Parts: sequence; C-alpha cells; structure tokens
Amino acid sequence: MITQPATRDADAELISASLTEPEAFAELFDRYSGMLYRYVSRRLGPGGPAEDLVGETFLVAFSRRGSYDLAHADARPWLFGILTKLVSRHHRTEAARYRALRRAPVEPDVESPADRVAAGVTAQAAGPGLASALAALPAKDRDVLLLIAWGDLTYEEAARALGVPIGTVRSRLNRGRRKVRAALGDTNPMLGEE
Amino acid sequence: MDDLKLLRDFGRRLEHEPPATLVRQRERLLGAVEGRPRRRWFGWMAAGLVAVATVATVAAVAVPALLLGDLRRTAQHPVGARPAKVTEALNVLLVGTDKGSAPRMADDKGRTDSIILLHLPADRKRTTAVSIPRDSLVQLPACGSAPARTDLINSAYNRGGLTCTVKAVESLTDVRIDHMAEVDFAGFGRLVDALGGIEVTLKRAVDDPKAKLTLPAGKSLLDGERAVGYMRLRSVGDGSDIARIKRQQTVIRAMAKKAGQVLDEPAKLKTLASVVADSVTTDTELDVERMIGIAMSLHDSTVKLVTVPWIPHPEDRNRIAWKQPEAEKLFASLR
Repeated sequence: MITQPATRDADAELISASLTEPEAFAELFDRYSGMLYRYVSRRLGPGGPAEDLVGETFLVAFSRRGSYDLAHADARPWLFGILTKLVSRHHRTEAARYRALRRAPVEPDVESPADRVAAGVTAQAAGPGLASALAALPAKDRDVLLLIAWGDLTYEEAARALGVPIGTVRSRLNRGRRKVRAALGDTNPMLGEE
Repeated sequence: MDDLKLLRDFGRRLEHEPPATLVRQRERLLGAVEGRPRRRWFGWMAAGLVAVATVATVAAVAVPALLLGDLRRTAQHPVGARPAKVTEALNVLLVGTDKGSAPRMADDKGRTDSIILLHLPADRKRTTAVSIPRDSLVQLPACGSAPARTDLINSAYNRGGLTCTVKAVESLTDVRIDHMAEVDFAGFGRLVDALGGIEVTLKRAVDDPKAKLTLPAGKSLLDGERAVGYMRLRSVGDGSDIARIKRQQTVIRAMAKKAGQVLDEPAKLKTLASVVADSVTTDTELDVERMIGIAMSLHDSTVKLVTVPWIPHPEDRNRIAWKQPEAEKLFASLR
C-alpha cells in the first residue's frame, strides 16, 4: 500500500481550502479513493458497483463539505461513513458474496510473504466460517465490525463515521464478534477465548 | 489468533486493487467541482501506470507513454486519403528517434531508430507489436515538401517527422494508424533511469569501443545510457538491423518487468510519471476514454512481439525488402 509523505496538509485544511477553491477537493480523492475502493472491493467484490460507489462517496462528500467539522483533522471516518451508507443499498450483493464465499475457498494470495502465508493457513481454514458469520450478521453490527476490522478505524472513528455514540459501537462490535467466534467455534477448535 | 485478526486476514484475501478506470470517478468529481466536464491528468497517471505495468509486456512500457503523453500532445495526423477504419481494432505507432543523440546540423531532425506498430484487435484479446526494420527500402508517399520516392523508411521521419512516418506506414501497410507516440534516445534513457535501471542477461560479453560499451556475459544492470547503448550496438551478432530489433525487444521486456516492481515504490512511480510526461510526444487526438481503453485492453491481453517478414533487398544486400506474401498477410491481419 502506498504510504503517505511525512509532511502534508491535514484533510481538514484541504476541505477548508475547498470552500473557496473547490479544486482542492480533488486531492482528497487522490489520497483516499484507493483505500475506499479496496475496502468496498472486500465487501462487494471488484467490478459491480464498487467503482461507482467510490465516485459517489466523493460527490456526496463534496456537496456536504460545508458542514464538515474542521476540528477533525482526519477525513477518513467521514468518508467511510458516507461509503457505508451507500454500500447498504447493495446489501443483497454483499450477502450473496458472503454466501458464495462460504462454499468456495478464497484463492491464496500468491504475493504474500512466507510468514503471511503461514498465518494465512489458519485464516484460510476459517474463511467459510467467517463468511457465514458475516452473511448472518445484522447490517448495523456488520458495519461496525467491518469498519474496525477492515477499515482500520478506532472505536471513536467508527462512532463518528456512523453518527452513533461510542457505547453503541462497543455493543454492536461485541455482539458481532461474539457471533463470529461462535461461527468459528464450529470450524476451528484451536480458537481459544481471549 | 483472535477473531479480529482472522477477520482481518480474511478481508485482506478478498481485497482488490483499484482499477485504472477509477479515474473516471475522479473525472466525475472534477465535473461536479467545476460544474462541467474537464480533464485533469496528474492524479490518474499512477492509476494508469498501475493497470499497465501489471502486464509484463512490451505494452507495459508503451502505454504509460501514451497515457502520460498529454503534456506534449502535438503530433498531427496525416492529411489526405488514408486507409479506412473498418473494424474496432486499434493501431498505435510507437517511434524511437535518435534526435539529439549526437551533434548534428541544426536543421537535422533526426531519424527513427525503431518503429513499432502496436495492434489491439477488436476483441482486445491478443495484442501484437510489430517491429518495422528501419533499413527497409520502401516506396514512400509524398508528404509535406518531400516528394514520393524509393528510400529507407526511417527517412520519412527526417523529412516530415512523426506525421510523415505515420503516412508512410499507412501507405505501405494499408493499416489505419489511430494513434502515435514518439520518444528520443535521451528520453528513453531517462525512462530507464526512472525505473531504476534494467536487468539483461547476455550470452556473450560485449566490448564495443565504438559504442563505448563493455558488458560481461551473464546478468547486468543497465542504466539509461547503457541501455540505449546496448540497443544501438551494431557490431554485435550479425550486425544487422534485425539483431538490433531483437535487442530492442529484450530491453523493452526488461523495462516492462521493472515497471511492475516500481509500483511498490511511490517515489519512483512519481518520478517515472513526470519523466514520461516530459519525454514522450503523442498525437492530438488521444483522449481520456481512449487511453483508459488501451490500458484496460492491455491489462487482459497477451502480447506477441514480431518483426515484419523480410529478405535482403535484391538491389542492395545491406537493405531490407519486405517478404511477400508473408508481410501482406501480416498487415491484412492488422486491418
């Protein structure tokens, strides 16, 4: 993944600048379109609506930039929040994807370094169980779980993204993880309690 | 391993890299930003390179050149009668010139050192890159101030630049050229340097005082200057243009391979993008959709490197004549 240069303007400064110079907003696309695409490709697969949703996310963000809280330097939670709403329109696609993954094993990543391949063996065995659990989760619990596990957001950031209190994030996450563990318990006896 | 870790690993295996076409979404955003469609190039250069450079083919180098050539989109298409465009196949003429490689007369425009016709068939499944030997003695059409004549194909560039080269190739092959791109030796060398050099494996050592090039047998890492020197060697192998074409193809393959690796290094990728923008000239009609189309097609395509079938010219053994009917058969397959 492409690392960001050490010095750059905070996202909030870009958004603030874009109020007077709209073009500045394009920089936000350059920073995060790849990240958002990768995230949505996990949930909905490549192709299909993935590209379109990334584009829509930025269109929505651009139209709402006036109400962005500039106290938050990092715009990722905001963008993830918009994208999450857009993804929910495609819940059938998402559910079908997880159901398919329940049966078909995910192809191993050929470019993984050896250590990741080793770790991947367990993860691969867990794949069908994880897919079942994701397919069965209520949408709200799944959104929280995936923003944290796949979007790399913190609890606070996930709360901001979804516009819910942090306590709600915690309870949804716990519920989601419990179900994931239960699904894994059936297929993976090696998995202990935390 | 805990459940979140397993879930992360699972997600990583489901992940896909953004396709080059994601740039359309950027265009969409810019359209909204300005309230009208517009073009901005730099942001999606990397995207184009990503899609292209994952293909370890000659095209992997050719297409970034096309994609990024926007800053110098100055070459004009020929005027007058041209071969008809009868299919959705796409033909792109890639030209390497020796411009600026040696002190010359001020009015010397340079010559084409390599001419490659890149053909993408209508179904875009299989790409062919046809090298046209520069020593081909052919019937050139009148172009600009230059009269129709029998001459070496690379003299078309000297008399009328890229436009007349395209006209010559069209008249000789009856293949419609849709787009063109040009790079000189200096620019080519800069491209190789921006890639961090290229690795070639030689069967025999090279020691050519004329080209000031010595290379050991086995693997060597070539910088831009030496890569150009290697491509231009004349006194190696049988010394023919055909042997040079083979070396060009070796270098281009090595560049394609390197381009794939550079993707993981953002700093190099950025340098490469700006070098391409500075070094490559393209025609005025390459638009965004076209370029993305080419990049996407190549992504899923296999590429075959071939040379126009030839024989020593009956009137001058040091020149090349195109071998018929094989050459005509090849061109027919490109129309």
